[in-house]
Amino acid sequence: MRTALLGAFATAALTIAACGGQAPRGISISFPASAVGAEAEVLQHQLERFMRNHPDIQVVQRKTPDAADQRRQLYVQWLNAGASDPDILQLDVIWTPEFAAAGWILPLDPFAPKVEDFFPATVAANRWQGKLYALPWFVDVGMLYWRTDVLTHPPDSFADLNRQATEVRKRDGLSFGFLWQGARYEGLVTVFLEHLGGFGGRILDEEGRVVVDSSPAIRALTYMRDSIYRDAVVPAVVLTWQEEQTRFAFQNGQAVLMRNWPYAATLLQNRDESRVAGKFAVASMPATPDGSPTATLGGSQLAINSNSDHPRAAYAVIVYLTQPEQMLERAQLVGQYPTRPALYASEALADALAVPPAQVQQIIEHAVPRPVTPVYAELSDILQIHLHRALTRQQEPAEALVEAAQAMRKLLADAGLTQAKHPQHGQGE
Amino acid sequence: MERQEARLAWLLVLPALAIIVLIALVPLLWALWESFHLHDLRMPWRGQPWVGPANYMEALTEARFWQAAGHTALFIVTSVTLELALGLVLALILHRSYRGRGAIRAAALVPWVMPTVVAALVWRFLFESPSGVVNMLATELGFMEQPFVWFIHATAAWVPLVLADVWKTTPFVALLLLAGLQSIDTTLYEAARIDGAGPWRQFTSVTLPLLRPALLVALIFRTLDAVRVFDLIYILTGGGPGTATEPLALYTFHVLFQRLRFGYGAALSVLIFLLTFALALIYIRVLGKDLLRPGA
Repeated sequence: MRTALLGAFATAALTIAACGGQAPRGISISFPASAVGAEAEVLQHQLERFMRNHPDIQVVQRKTPDAADQRRQLYVQWLNAGASDPDILQLDVIWTPEFAAAGWILPLDPFAPKVEDFFPATVAANRWQGKLYALPWFVDVGMLYWRTDVLTHPPDSFADLNRQATEVRKRDGLSFGFLWQGARYEGLVTVFLEHLGGFGGRILDEEGRVVVDSSPAIRALTYMRDSIYRDAVVPAVVLTWQEEQTRFAFQNGQAVLMRNWPYAATLLQNRDESRVAGKFAVASMPATPDGSPTATLGGSQLAINSNSDHPRAAYAVIVYLTQPEQMLERAQLVGQYPTRPALYASEALADALAVPPAQVQQIIEHAVPRPVTPVYAELSDILQIHLHRALTRQQEPAEALVEAAQAMRKLLADAGLTQAKHPQHGQGE
Repeated sequence: MERQEARLAWLLVLPALAIIVLIALVPLLWALWESFHLHDLRMPWRGQPWVGPANYMEALTEARFWQAAGHTALFIVTSVTLELALGLVLALILHRSYRGRGAIRAAALVPWVMPTVVAALVWRFLFESPSGVVNMLATELGFMEQPFVWFIHATAAWVPLVLADVWKTTPFVALLLLAGLQSIDTTLYEAARIDGAGPWRQFTSVTLPLLRPALLVALIFRTLDAVRVFDLIYILTGGGPGTATEPLALYTFHVLFQRLRFGYGAALSVLIFLLTFALALIYIRVLGKDLLRPGA
């Protein structure tokens, strides 16, 4: 018994000694990121290169779940507890204001980042109260995928979309006209936002007031519902579908059009698995004369934990990862879009992406952020429920949106975000 | 001497008492304390002030709370009724003696042994897609002309939910009732036969009255389980479409773990606790009387 214990202690001591011997570097920075797949590998390579250039900084990868909700919950728990680890946070675009208002991440302005090199929309989404809290790492946008083998041009209006989809579906015997993500989750809000913009509506106005019960919004939601039940352009089953189900159906050649994120393009071009390889292109979503083509802005940002012991070193890592070379490498290996417009003219990007960079750039320039507010997650939750009720015909669109708007106004008032646009901070940041 | 023994007895039960206090009472009181505070992990700038009964008022005036309560009640009534009825039939079948009875009894228990999450995933798979098994069968057999999307109808979405729960827990009810059936003296049936009672009369006059305690036990277990139903619905419908199948437990989960509103979520948990407690008290009243009666 005693010898076994001694043995265990000895092993533990050896392990500690071994670790200590490996880390003579001055500073250790932790970085929570994807644990699996090509994404984790690219990051690993890039961080190794960074460490070779900066022998005094050691970057440790913290494995975190890929599912956005789970990752956010984990962050919120860590940051609430005031943990100094992890130093760097990979944020979804909709989290930046939330984390900034809570005082969980550092303003980056003191480091004087060159924000003019990034797409303006991606920078705007990372500002809160005029300060910049994160740098855009890669960008995601909602795109309209259309079949070049059955359509001659992408639809330029919603009416045109319905007409073309119906005609082609009948003529060529395709199962579905237009596919989007309609399950009750964040994806539904992004799809709604794109329709909303097309009809000239918004969720919050410039003053931060809720305007999602305005008439353009009701028209947009009514159009979405009618395209399912009246026009039969969109199959009712999308109300249970997320990205992957729509991608599978489109990939099998069952649909004329699909709304999806850029990741699908890479997979759709894979000739071994996709029946539509080489037979599709991307475009902006259509719009009515009252609105303009709208793409929902998504993507990942890099920010620094307010309690980090080494903000300067953390910033050095962020700067390195957002350099053009690193972005091009990510585009090549995992198909993620750079946040620097200058790269879209490069040959390297054209080789890396499954669709022409110029088209992508045009869509990104139409991209709008979701409401930039610290309570976005709650706003979205209210919207998801009411949109889904209207689309599953439990409520009329107008009724659903009026109820949603009431709940959203109450939420903003409770959070102290209506009169003064900015929350009061209990303690200093 | 006696006093000393009593003291020793207290000392000996002390660790057990301490553990009960630690794992049952402390969290409960803590939740109670939380429920009178505003505590929103997401909005640290609002602090954690004492808000009195505000969280309870919010719950009781919130439409979604009452809808969730209604959904819970609906789920309890439909699933427990079906489970008791089918469980009784199953128990009667299992009670008869025939060849291979052991194997049949074991097989009947399989659904109950399966983890709920796995069972829920299987049922979702059966109902989910237009080309899923249920839709294929229904269109093939001519019940429906077109595939049906079950999970987007506020009413139809309950069908897979209730079916899955009935499938999963009927064996458990049957097991409880089987034990009850086996405790009935067979001579009672002989006597009834001699008095000229047919099989139906024997069932209503002998089996059912004597099975009552077992039926009540099954009823309690199933009701209290159904009040807390969470995993099955979380996997199958997620409470949708909209919130049309959202029970209290799922609403509370959503408030606590997705919106991270600890104060309000604690108030909801306390309400569920009170509801379960009240139901248990009512049942114990009814059942206790029945069980404590001599000869029952």
